[in-house]
Amino acid sequence: MNLELKHLTKKYQDKTVLDDITLKLENIQILALLGASGSGKSTLLRLIAGLEPFQGGDIIVNNNAMRTSPLDQFRKNVGFVFQDHNLFSHLSIMENILLVLEKVHKRKRADVIKPVSELLERFGLIEHAHKLPHQISGGQSQRASIVRALAIQPELILLDEPTSSLDPVLTYEVLSAIKQLAEDQKDFIIVTHEIGFAKSVADYIVFMENGKIVEHGYRSILDQPQSAELKRFLDKVLTFIPT
Amino acid sequence: MNLLRKAFNFFSALLLYILFFYFVMVRSLDKGVDYAVYYEYRKVIFNGWLTTISISLMALILALLVGLILYWMSISHFGVLRYLQEIHKMIIFGTPLVVIAIVAYYYIGHAFNIRSKFWVGVITLALYIGAYIADIYKGAVESIHINQWQTAKMFGFTKVQTYRYVVFPQVLMTILPPLAGQFALTIKGSALLSYMSTDEFLNTIKTVQAASFRYSEGFIIVTLGYLLLTIPLILLVRYLEKRMNYKVAK
Repeated sequence: MNLELKHLTKKYQDKTVLDDITLKLENIQILALLGASGSGKSTLLRLIAGLEPFQGGDIIVNNNAMRTSPLDQFRKNVGFVFQDHNLFSHLSIMENILLVLEKVHKRKRADVIKPVSELLERFGLIEHAHKLPHQISGGQSQRASIVRALAIQPELILLDEPTSSLDPVLTYEVLSAIKQLAEDQKDFIIVTHEIGFAKSVADYIVFMENGKIVEHGYRSILDQPQSAELKRFLDKVLTFIPT
Repeated sequence: MNLLRKAFNFFSALLLYILFFYFVMVRSLDKGVDYAVYYEYRKVIFNGWLTTISISLMALILALLVGLILYWMSISHFGVLRYLQEIHKMIIFGTPLVVIAIVAYYYIGHAFNIRSKFWVGVITLALYIGAYIADIYKGAVESIHINQWQTAKMFGFTKVQTYRYVVFPQVLMTILPPLAGQFALTIKGSALLSYMSTDEFLNTIKTVQAASFRYSEGFIIVTLGYLLLTIPLILLVRYLEKRMNYKVAK
């Protein structure tokens, strides 16, 4: 993916959440956004998704500038995985995926059933395809949500703390599924607190604090952080992890 | 075994209840019961019972529409519409149905030249129940988690698609139990239309009572007639609620 942020500014009433962010990245497959809660990383992801308006600057994803492209068209090329799985609660896992393909992408059910079943199979969900979201575990729901995002064959997948509401076992399950995306050469941006995961999977790291990008670079910056802020952050996050 | 014990407990409770009423009847009746007159008028009474069902059904269907209009008014951008529905709801919630029925029949019915007692009854009930149904809709739509709207937006659903495929099916599941409850309330409420001398169930019985002076029998029939309609509805509400709670709790 190519991603360019030009003087991006986002405010909620008087509070500046993203403060004049500029960044230019080319040919990155996996980007991890790190930072403490309230640093602005989830907001940045939602802006890249076209979910919220912003006050200043622009976002250019794969040469499409958000200011000039119609947002709904823009969103159709992006798959999004929310913190909570956000599956439609009245529909089975299979119908959750088919609804989006049929109604938004105007695909014929007969044409998409096979590829969707294959995806569910790969992500270990085929035997749950006809269950409602409340009938499966949090990890399975989150994997289903990843399959739903993947099924529309998006240019880019965005994942917003996809494991934050899961216990360690389910977290492992979901992270393995995301790793599969990486192996499939899918481009994605992930907001995460899982430093170990970011370190092993992401190509590029962006670290944010107080609505600004404090440090960014290839994943080696997690081993040799330059800024005091990132050092402090890593010290805290890694305190209880044995080296 | 469990089922047997349940059945025993239920029928014992029912028997105790009936015994109590039997005691009340024996103590207060000075003459024995005689259903001969009611049997003679069975056709008229049955028609009254059917009228009660059709008034309630028509009123409920109309109330679903009234409720929808009031709900739309409540989320409208026009302040006047929002206040209008608010005032209507305040008045409805604050006034006994019997008062509304009398005003509607003697004044509103006349003013708009609606002479049919049946239709004045239906419209009155619909306006009354509709105010409650508007709140049921509002609660149901508000109970749809913000995530569901956001997800629909993210995946590129239009506003109409979001309502049609995401919001409406979920709202339907939530409103079914309270709607079944409202239907029971409508049936009971329709009894008040006897004040307008509509030929519904209660009024028919009252007519036979007045002609035959056999009051107790009439009250027993009228009670059983309403219970026959409302108990299945109450059981349906319980069933639907249980089914929904199960889904929510998981």
